[in-house]
Amino acid sequence: MSSNNFAIEVNNLTVTYNKKPAVKSIDLKIPQGSLVGIIGPNGAGKSSLLKGFLGLLPTDSGLIKVFNRPIKQSISSISYIPQKESLDWDFPVVVSDVVMMGRYPHLKFFQRPTEHDKKIVEEALKKVEMEKFANRQIRALSGGQQQRVFLARALAQESEILLLDEPFVGVDAATESTIISLLKKLRDNGKTILVVHHDLGKVNQYFDYLVMLNQRLIAFGKTSDVFKNEYLDKTYGGRLTILQKSEDLQIENAKLH
Amino acid sequence: MDFLVKIFIEPVQYEFMQRAIAASVLVGITCGLVGSFIMLRKMSLIGDALAHAVLPGVIIGFMIAGKGQTALFIGAVTAGIITSLLIGFVNRNSKIKEDTSIGVVFTGAFALGILLVSQMKNVHIDLTSYLFGDILGVSRSDLILSAIIAFVVIVSIVLFYKQLLVTSFDLTMAAVMGVSTGMVHYFLMSLLSMTIVASLQSVGVILVVAMLITPAATAYLLTDRLHKMLIYSVLIGVFTALVGLLGSYHFNFSSGAAMVVFGTMVFLFTLIFSPTQGVLIKTIRRKRISDKNISQDLIKLIYKNCIDGKSLKVIHAKIKLSELTSQLGLSKSQIDKGIKTLTDDGLIDIQDDFIHVRDKGRKEAIQLIRSHRLWESYLNHEKILSVEKLHSDAEELEHHLTEELVDEIDQKLNYPILDPDGDPIPTKDGELREATNR
Repeated sequence: MSSNNFAIEVNNLTVTYNKKPAVKSIDLKIPQGSLVGIIGPNGAGKSSLLKGFLGLLPTDSGLIKVFNRPIKQSISSISYIPQKESLDWDFPVVVSDVVMMGRYPHLKFFQRPTEHDKKIVEEALKKVEMEKFANRQIRALSGGQQQRVFLARALAQESEILLLDEPFVGVDAATESTIISLLKKLRDNGKTILVVHHDLGKVNQYFDYLVMLNQRLIAFGKTSDVFKNEYLDKTYGGRLTILQKSEDLQIENAKLH
Repeated sequence: MDFLVKIFIEPVQYEFMQRAIAASVLVGITCGLVGSFIMLRKMSLIGDALAHAVLPGVIIGFMIAGKGQTALFIGAVTAGIITSLLIGFVNRNSKIKEDTSIGVVFTGAFALGILLVSQMKNVHIDLTSYLFGDILGVSRSDLILSAIIAFVVIVSIVLFYKQLLVTSFDLTMAAVMGVSTGMVHYFLMSLLSMTIVASLQSVGVILVVAMLITPAATAYLLTDRLHKMLIYSVLIGVFTALVGLLGSYHFNFSSGAAMVVFGTMVFLFTLIFSPTQGVLIKTIRRKRISDKNISQDLIKLIYKNCIDGKSLKVIHAKIKLSELTSQLGLSKSQIDKGIKTLTDDGLIDIQDDFIHVRDKGRKEAIQLIRSHRLWESYLNHEKILSVEKLHSDAEELEHHLTEELVDEIDQKLNYPILDPDGDPIPTKDGELREATNR
């Protein structure tokens, strides 16, 4: 039964971006109900890893299981909070429209949202204290409010796993701490949360587990076990150059063929 | 009355005009709906490209099956889909960016179409009406085809609303829903090709992109909800097409050009006068805010000149207006206007050159001082800004902070007596808080 406690299991996963491998041969076992940080330098493939989970980027090899089932069957139990710049904030949707999208995976192909769905949306907005803004266009919100709207969408989706891509970019310190305490509350309710993060400052206080990534998995484990200089060096320097060199060689070879 | 009859009623009695009116309405509906998604997905250029690229499809259709609605429809839709596939193929297999691959593919296809037209011996095609539209020449069978296409478009958008919304707004959500974005894209391309077919007779190849995106862009300026945008876009599209048609009937204008010119005028009018997002209302709103800030700055300054900063006690019952002017970085006219607003609102009285602050003005000024000092205290408490920057930030924010938020800050800071500069913070009722150890 022990394998049932893993929310996500990844075996030998390689995700490609622009026809080049962005992350390679990743093995991970993420326990259910944990708050996990994914850290690594720019270009380490942090976002690509999350996008690989969702099938937004092609995976060359590897197996992803979510709650012991192939990811395709359980993809609706995942919610993804996209990077800020990947969205068109002038799109004609108001806050409640965005949160309602979280209900879409529960609806049949042609089905319209029901009263029940509307109620869930309202409750989700209340949980992130955004109910007053239900009819606001999403551009007319602060950075922190925008993040909370997407958290509300994840709540409305009633997903077990949340993937967040750099949620703290462009939000102030106060908002960051609001969001992290919301995430911790969700974790305490049994949700599994993966956060791509680039600031090492508060890693200790934020995350239960750390995925340290630099195209390959450098370390994975309890934050207290892996957030150490030896792994940080491997992630951010030292070994990187050799990895980078091998990568360069492969690209050269690919060109020749 | 006769005049109105001549403009609006007289044309309707002709059968060709009845057909033209129906065609205009159908074009407005179809283009308005499909165009909204084309615009939101930033595919305006593809809209234009497909309109041109259907030409060889239409010609080949006519060559094979002879001139007729079925040949037109199948030829155009096939050409539209092949073109969008080809654009995607170029994108995926080279480093060429989308705008260039669109440019290469559609001009090539359009030119091929023109070559084919010149080689066609057995079927005569009026290239001018194809390029620029001739709505007065719409036939019964054209109309039936347009009606079928409009029906297909309406039903598709109602049925696939969720999928279209999600793939246009957030691809990650589409992935979670298991919606194939590629499928939705090509589905929309098929709808677009059909829309172009439906619009050929009325607006022509060259201008059909305008009927697609101009009403949609106008609607986009009027609302923040997608379903409303679709409805507005349809209404504007229909209205534009009908006005264009009237122009075409009365003045012998090219129908496509008349529709597009009028549509552009409606767009520009909306851009300036839109009640929520128009240029005009934004300017007025900005002016109003800056006027409000000025008069608030003024009442605060006047009151501060009347009181002792440390005790907040009134030491001058009235002050001289001319003494103030140098203390604010404002022009004479701004000050005059601000003073007038304050007088009109009953915040101050003016006698000769002396200003007397009334009770209402006193309350307003105290609240501003309270907002300012509490905000400074809050920023200082949270260590968000350096001490030098505190004042300027508070100077700006004192105008915007709501009373509730100010009270919340007060409570959070446990009702402080002094601000970081050592000045007293007035209470909600405008009193000075007694220091417990005083």
